Amino acid sequence: MIYFDNAATTRPDGEALQKAAQFTTELYFNPSAKYGGGFAVSKQMNAMREALLAHLNAVGKYDLIFTSCGTEADNQAIFSCGKRGNVVTTAGEHAAVYSACNELKNRGVEPRFAPVERDGSVKIESILSLVDEKTSLVSVVHVNNETGAVNDIAAIAKAVKAKNPRTVFHSDGVQAFGKIPFAPPPEVDLYSVSAHKIGGLKGTGGLFKRKGLALSPHIYGGGQENGQRSGTENTFGIAVFAYAAEKKFKTLKEDEIRLKTYREMLFSALDGEIFVRLSPENGSPYLLTVSAVGMRGEVLERMLWDRGLCVGTGSACSSKHRFSRVMTACGYGERVLDGVLRMSFSPATTEEEIKEAAALLNSTAKEFQRNTN
Amino acid sequence: MEKVIIIRYAEIHLKGKNRGYFERIFSNNLEKALKGIRHEIHRTSGRYLIADFDEERTDEIMLRVSKVFGVHSYSLGLLTENDEDSIFEAAKRVAPQSGTFKVETHRGDKHYPLTSMEISARIGGRLLAYDYELKVDVHTPAHTVYVDIREGGRALIFGTFVDGLHGMPVSTAGRGLLLISGGIDSPVAGYMMAKRGMTVELLHFHSYPYTNEAAKEKVVTLSKLLSDYTLVTKLTTVSVTHIQEEIHKNCAAELNVTLLRRFMFRIAERIALREGAGCLVTGESLGQVASQTLEGLTSSNAVVRLPVLRPLIGFDKEDIVAIAKKIGTFETSTLPYEDCCTVFLPDFPAIRPKLSFIEEEEKKLDIESLVEEALSSREVIRF
Repeated sequence: MIYFDNAATTRPDGEALQKAAQFTTELYFNPSAKYGGGFAVSKQMNAMREALLAHLNAVGKYDLIFTSCGTEADNQAIFSCGKRGNVVTTAGEHAAVYSACNELKNRGVEPRFAPVERDGSVKIESILSLVDEKTSLVSVVHVNNETGAVNDIAAIAKAVKAKNPRTVFHSDGVQAFGKIPFAPPPEVDLYSVSAHKIGGLKGTGGLFKRKGLALSPHIYGGGQENGQRSGTENTFGIAVFAYAAEKKFKTLKEDEIRLKTYREMLFSALDGEIFVRLSPENGSPYLLTVSAVGMRGEVLERMLWDRGLCVGTGSACSSKHRFSRVMTACGYGERVLDGVLRMSFSPATTEEEIKEAAALLNSTAKEFQRNTN
Repeated sequence: MEKVIIIRYAEIHLKGKNRGYFERIFSNNLEKALKGIRHEIHRTSGRYLIADFDEERTDEIMLRVSKVFGVHSYSLGLLTENDEDSIFEAAKRVAPQSGTFKVETHRGDKHYPLTSMEISARIGGRLLAYDYELKVDVHTPAHTVYVDIREGGRALIFGTFVDGLHGMPVSTAGRGLLLISGGIDSPVAGYMMAKRGMTVELLHFHSYPYTNEAAKEKVVTLSKLLSDYTLVTKLTTVSVTHIQEEIHKNCAAELNVTLLRRFMFRIAERIALREGAGCLVTGESLGQVASQTLEGLTSSNAVVRLPVLRPLIGFDKEDIVAIAKKIGTFETSTLPYEDCCTVFLPDFPAIRPKLSFIEEEEKKLDIESLVEEALSSREVIRF
């Protein structure tokens, strides 16, 4: 099977799993325990924390709070920092941010959604025009998970802080971490990441927090993670995350260049009479979103699965709704929205897979046309 | 003294010389319904007793009995010797702590030395003397203690009658094949036929990949819910994907649904005959959608010889919904998975398709090979 749904989740990295196995065998102790075993686990866990921080050149500048997933990290950022006035975000956010911001309405905070461009990115001016002296938080996704558009969050954060220095800036970096070269400038206060998009396991995420920023916990209890996130740490998941990230960051640059070539190779091999491109050329090299205009993406997805190609339709987290909220916000009509397919890659993606996938996409779409027209 | 569940049956007493046959099936059905829970079923005249059962699962047994057709009413009670002291001991346990009550006696054993009135008076009197909080009210008591004197020196004492489902025991009225979709209506239609004693086999048509696995899984869930009543634990599925594609490519768009339904009926009849079913059952209700007009129904009937039973034909949607809610299928039926793909839906389906036009359009298709091909996609799911 050719697996091209890596933006939904990746296959866990075998080596990372093996290296981390010690946390399920001899090093199973609770990291909060006061005896030697607990201390040993805690020490290793903190070393991994440092290693993860180092990947973003954030050691000494940021803390990393381990969470259960990217969604939890996003929620903690929004509900901790969006407590008054208004919160500015975009129409292109993942549901983890979008729904949390909508919930703010029930808590007396006004969410403001900046429109997105055709490719899913947001313009600095669109954000700035919504920011005022009452804006407590701005949250902008780093890489749009449906189109792959990359927002220049460093520039956006700087502009936001220039307009209102008291505004907290958060970015959902789930589709960027380990894929796009990035080191947060001091204007970025919070940055959410997830392990299972880069070879880690589901159930592990993290929130980078600028040192000095006061955050309130989202989960209360035994005071783990400096009181910011209670609950016994998922040491095995954290270890897999750290080992997978270590591997991923090593090849980040070369992966980026190679996958960009593959992405273009795939698009140019697709039948131009059937597919239109929705992701921007300057977007993430890890994903290509197209539309088989007038066809039903969901049906194509199942046909392709049966033929050995696994692709996504829009955001897997919102697939119960017919049209993707984000793609609708990009301004496409029903016929384009119906046919959205997202191919997303990993470092393991090969040139042969790209060629075979292109052939399968073309032949399957033609078959769909023949059978339904 | 022993805890028992008393089951009284409905309608079977009407069946004269066939009564033994009906009772055997009814008893088998009870056994099937209680499968997996320790219990014994005893038949006494006019009643069944569930005895020696796993008392921790009493509620579950009562729930399962509540779904067996042919049950007129049932009660949780005590089985005891029929001497006055034993009856009183049992009555003490059934009687309320306080409030008004009466004792009502029924004598199944007419040789018992006391009359019903005498038994009620004596047991009532002893209960009053035993517990001063109780008061007798023979007209509108808050509680009734029922004493049922049975043959063989036994008596049943209980406090409530729970109304059963009534109807006829399933598998006493032939076998039918229900066309089950993921919607609200078809499970209700199956329930209605099972209520009259029919064994309701299940057939589901899907059009994967135009419909998804979740839609099929939903039908399996519905089938399981329905099996509490029908005791049938098997679902046959058939793919009509290629048929839909061929109709779409070759025939007039407004006849899409009409033609597809004719194929479904043809396939269903073949499967019915193989499974020994004597009729098809559908959840159609007159005029509910374009294919359920009189002309639509006629066009489907025209391709089969087996009778097609449509127990919901005169029901309004809200009547059907009420039953679906009662039998517990409504929630599953309304899950948002498409059971037919909108890719093939015409803008305006024909409301009154003429048979001659339908047959003309159908000539464009190789009916026999399409039916055979669909039959070869047949899968059987047991649950």
